[in-house]
Amino acid sequence: MSANPKIRIFLTGVGGQGTLTATTLLAKTVLAQGLDVTSGEIHGMAQRGGVVESTVLIGCKSPKLGHGEADILVGFEPMETMRALPYLKKGGLIISSTEFMPPLSVAMGKEECPTIEDIKAAVAGCTDKVYFMASQAIGLEAGAVQAGNIAILGALCAAGELPFGPEALEEAIKVNLPAKIQAVNLKALELGVNALNT
Amino acid sequence: MANPLLTEKSGDTHLLLGNEAIVRGAIEAGIQVVSCYPGTPSSEVPDTFYRISPEGKYYFEYSVNEKVALEVASGATLAGAMSMCTMKHVGVNVAADPLMTLCYVGAPGGLVLLSADDPGCHSSQNEQDNRIYARLAGMPILEPATAQEAKDMARDGLRLSKKHGAPLLLRTTTRVNHLRGPVEFGPASDPGKAEGFKRNPSKFVPIPAFARPMHLALMERMEALKAEAEKSEYNTLSGSGDLGIVCSGISRAYVNDALENSGLTDKVTVLELGFPYPLPENKCLDFLKSVSKVLVVEELEPVVENDLRVLAQKNELSIEILGKGTLPQHGEFSVTLVENAIRATLGEPPVVECDCTLPTLPMRPPNLCAGCPHRGTYFAAKKVFGDDAVYSSDIGCYTLGILPPLQAADFLICMGSSISAGGGVAQASGQTVVAFIGDSTFFHSGLSGVANAVFNSHNILLVVLDNRTTAMTGHQPNPGVDKTVIGENDHPLDIETAVRGLGVTEIRTVNPFNQKKTLAAFEELKDMSGVRVLIAKEPCPLYTRRVYKKVAPQVAYVSETCDGRFECLDRLACPAMYKEGGKAAVNPILCNGCMLCLQVCGHIKAKKRGS
Repeated sequence: MSANPKIRIFLTGVGGQGTLTATTLLAKTVLAQGLDVTSGEIHGMAQRGGVVESTVLIGCKSPKLGHGEADILVGFEPMETMRALPYLKKGGLIISSTEFMPPLSVAMGKEECPTIEDIKAAVAGCTDKVYFMASQAIGLEAGAVQAGNIAILGALCAAGELPFGPEALEEAIKVNLPAKIQAVNLKALELGVNALNT
Repeated sequence: MANPLLTEKSGDTHLLLGNEAIVRGAIEAGIQVVSCYPGTPSSEVPDTFYRISPEGKYYFEYSVNEKVALEVASGATLAGAMSMCTMKHVGVNVAADPLMTLCYVGAPGGLVLLSADDPGCHSSQNEQDNRIYARLAGMPILEPATAQEAKDMARDGLRLSKKHGAPLLLRTTTRVNHLRGPVEFGPASDPGKAEGFKRNPSKFVPIPAFARPMHLALMERMEALKAEAEKSEYNTLSGSGDLGIVCSGISRAYVNDALENSGLTDKVTVLELGFPYPLPENKCLDFLKSVSKVLVVEELEPVVENDLRVLAQKNELSIEILGKGTLPQHGEFSVTLVENAIRATLGEPPVVECDCTLPTLPMRPPNLCAGCPHRGTYFAAKKVFGDDAVYSSDIGCYTLGILPPLQAADFLICMGSSISAGGGVAQASGQTVVAFIGDSTFFHSGLSGVANAVFNSHNILLVVLDNRTTAMTGHQPNPGVDKTVIGENDHPLDIETAVRGLGVTEIRTVNPFNQKKTLAAFEELKDMSGVRVLIAKEPCPLYTRRVYKKVAPQVAYVSETCDGRFECLDRLACPAMYKEGGKAAVNPILCNGCMLCLQVCGHIKAKKRGS
């Protein structure tokens, strides 16, 4: 690992999913490794159901990411992964959920979501470094649907693009999350790492 | 365990939100009084002060609006207390009246006004650049770009303000308020008790005879602050190239990253202005003389750019100064945008941006939550008035009523305008006007609108959407609430009594989830003239869960008999509902159990939650 790596991570999901909690946990993990970190988030009008975008930047000053600047794209919802593709640097890493949370227009039958095959095809046009996983199902298997985000972070840490591995995230969970939800999240982390390797 | 933000220790490093870092900075300075009106992106500053206030050594309040908040802080600083007042950018418009004179009167205890500006309108009705307010009022500005600076500048700004008796503007933008970064703590000061007010009318009462010398004193103060800016460690020089870059605020971060990305560091000299006003003229003049061309990188208005143009003209420098035109005067910047501006100025080709094109995806706009009582009120209003009324809206969650199918927001100006601007429509045209205002907004600036409407006999139906909290910005208390996250409200104000006290005689209070009664009340008020008020009272479901610790015992479900007409979906657009195989369905996890849909369609039934 270089002394001063520069890694830009773009995270996206749906309001209420815990995107910001996951972002903060990841930023704390980076900081605990003695690396310089800045993280940004935009919520504001994002009531439940709006898009939430956030960033974790290692070794950079700016909290914001522009198009084509992200080394890594983390999508907690597949359509949001697709929407955020322009942020990814060509050939960058993607970790994404496969489980849709349809927006209202789709739930009402007025519009259609792309299929997971459409999304995989769009992603393939940008990069071949990609891992899709059913994160909510993994979260449920670990004991709480909300823990699905930690499974995705676990996979991210195991993918080999960060200057630390899943054990750094494990440590951050133990230090930062309330005791009563640690076991579930540690389990989700383990399942997320396994999902990456299967 | 005490909150880490309140520790007296120094040396620890925490990952903090920019807004939390501001709180820590104030605590390190020895803050004594904090007032605010919440507003995104400033809200986490007062929310953090509030949450830790039971253990803190300061007085904190949520004031009813920004003008009142600044006046409270003004009184506190006159009594010798180190004070902070926080708001979003448009809040400063509300507080502008006291602000202009406060800068004459001064701040003996120190006073920092936090203005959280919002380039890009992430959660605001405009992009106004409040650095211009500082020039209008005569106040120094500090502009952080990192979490560490947010903390340090809050602390140093308060100290500087107290030292000079000068109200100071801490100007942030959304990116700074909502970034997270490591913050190393300095020692906290024990504020002790405020010195108390010392009578001195010629200094503190701006009757014209006293105001004239106060203006002179203000200008002297700004000269002294210019000397502070000249030597400030927040104004830094780096690099040694021929092209000069001047940057302030978050643009400093973009410039630094752009230079690193592009490898152009050795071609530019960068002047970062963290303390940009009053302009450190000597420092800037030396800089202008040391380079051949200057690019000013600042979001929104050409404020620093114009300062530098004036400085160059006064000193007969013929240097080329670029800024707006090369960079946009609207929205946020990005690293690539800034890098390309620097490249263009140096005659280098631009970086190639991503060429990936995507099909149009369904949008995911924010929406009224499942179980939001406003949905019931809007649904009833539209049923009674249809498209025949003009719907005057206001600032809050309920502005989302603009979305189809409810479409109950036709125009909007600012906090409190639904009543007064609605009255303007009614009086000018004779059109039927239904105005909506939330409970927090009602106390913020609705009261005077009601008084005006009654006094001037406006013909208007006002609907107070009373969801028992300030929901939009994160459930802060307002005078009407019963309970807050840290305790009871000792003096809850009753909206119905307040409206009656202002002279309204036709008032109805309903629960909007009771459609029969709500429709009847609308019908009754529709047939009357003058000022009529309907209070739609039902707590925000998110607040109910968080503060009252209550969850509705039932959820809705769609029975087998559903005939696929989808009136429920098409007319309510509740996010808990969806189409599934030709029938409507309810997601029991998202359903908040408001039972509004049961009143719209007989095929929807209630069942026990979890059954």
